Amino acid sequence: MDRQHPMDIQLLRLLPIASAEGPSYAGLVFYVALVLLAIFLLTGMAKKGFKDRVFTNKLSQHAEQMYLFVESLCINIIGPHGKKYIPFIGTIWLFIFTSNSLALFFPTAPTADFSFNLALALIAVFYVQFEGIKGHADHLLHEGKGAFGAWIGGFFRHMRHFAGPTMGRNGAIEVAVAIVMPCLLFPIELVSELMKNVSLSLRLFGNIHGGHVAVESLNHLWAPFAMSGNDVYMPLGGFLLLVKLLTVIVQALVFCLLTCVYIGLVTHHEEPHGEHAEAH
Amino acid sequence: MMMIGLGLAILGAGLGFGLIGYGAMTGMSRQPEALGRLQTAMLIAFAFVELTFLLTLFLAPASFSKL
Repeated sequence: MDRQHPMDIQLLRLLPIASAEGPSYAGLVFYVALVLLAIFLLTGMAKKGFKDRVFTNKLSQHAEQMYLFVESLCINIIGPHGKKYIPFIGTIWLFIFTSNSLALFFPTAPTADFSFNLALALIAVFYVQFEGIKGHADHLLHEGKGAFGAWIGGFFRHMRHFAGPTMGRNGAIEVAVAIVMPCLLFPIELVSELMKNVSLSLRLFGNIHGGHVAVESLNHLWAPFAMSGNDVYMPLGGFLLLVKLLTVIVQALVFCLLTCVYIGLVTHHEEPHGEHAEAH
Repeated sequence: MMMIGLGLAILGAGLGFGLIGYGAMTGMSRQPEALGRLQTAMLIAFAFVELTFLLTLFLAPASFSKL
C-alpha cells in the first residue's frame, strides 16, 4: 500500500473497471479469468459431442469449424510442415477471438489493454525467432555437429537472414557491394523485426480499444439535447455493434495470419533429404 | 494542430481503403468463383492500411511530446 494516494483510490485500483490508463493489474486478471472461464465452459460443453462419428452437438460442429479454419491457415501459408504449429496458432486465435468477443459486452477486455497485446505479440515474434534458430540448429545437428556448436551455428545462420540477398563475389565492385550492403541492410532489417512487435500489438489494441472509445464518444453525443445541464449518456454507441463484430473477427484472423506468414518465412529452408540419403 | 494531422492521416487511410475495395470488387466481378480468396486478401490489406493510421494515432503524439 503506498502512502501517496488515499485509501479509496487504492481500493478503486482493485476493481475491474476501465480507467484512462486501462484496467489495473487486478482488473486485467479478472478479465483474463473471465475469458478463460468462457473458453473452458464452451470447450467443455463441446467436448461431450466429440464421441460421435458425426457431430450432432452444435458446439462440437462449431469447434470443428474453428479447428478447420486454423488448420487451413497453417497449412496453406506455412506449407505441409505447418501441421505442428496448429496448437500454437489455435491457442492464440481462440484467446484473441474470445477476448475480442467479450470486449463487445464489457468496458474492457484483455485485448483492449496495450500491455496484454504487447505480451501476445512478443510471444509470437520470439517464438518465430526460436523456430528459425531451431530449424537451422536441427539441420546442423543432422549433419553431425555437437549440440552447442549446432545452436551457435543456428543462431548465426538465422542472423544471416537479416543481411540481405546473397551476391556473387566476382570482381572488386561486387566484393565491395557484398561488404557494404549487409552493413546498410542489417539495421533496417533489425528495426523491421522490432516493428513486427509494435505492429501486431498496436493493430489489435487500436481496433478493440478504439471500438470502446468510439462507442463512448457516440454515447456522449446526446449531451447537447439533455434537458438538464447534466451529462446524459444515451446508448447511441449500439449502432457500432455490427462494425465492431466485423473488427472482432478480422483482427483475430489477421494476427494469426501474420504470425503464420512470419513462421513460413523462417522455416522455408526444408531441403529434400534425398541428397543426404545418397551420401549415406 | 493535432486534429489537422489526424485528419490528414485518416484522409490517406480512407483513400487506401477505397482503393482496396475497388480492387477487390473488380476482381470479384471478373471472377466470381474467387470470391472467398479475394475477400481474405482484402481483409489482410485492410489490416495493413489500418495499422498505419493507428500508428499515427497512438505513436505520433507519444513520440512528439516531452517524454
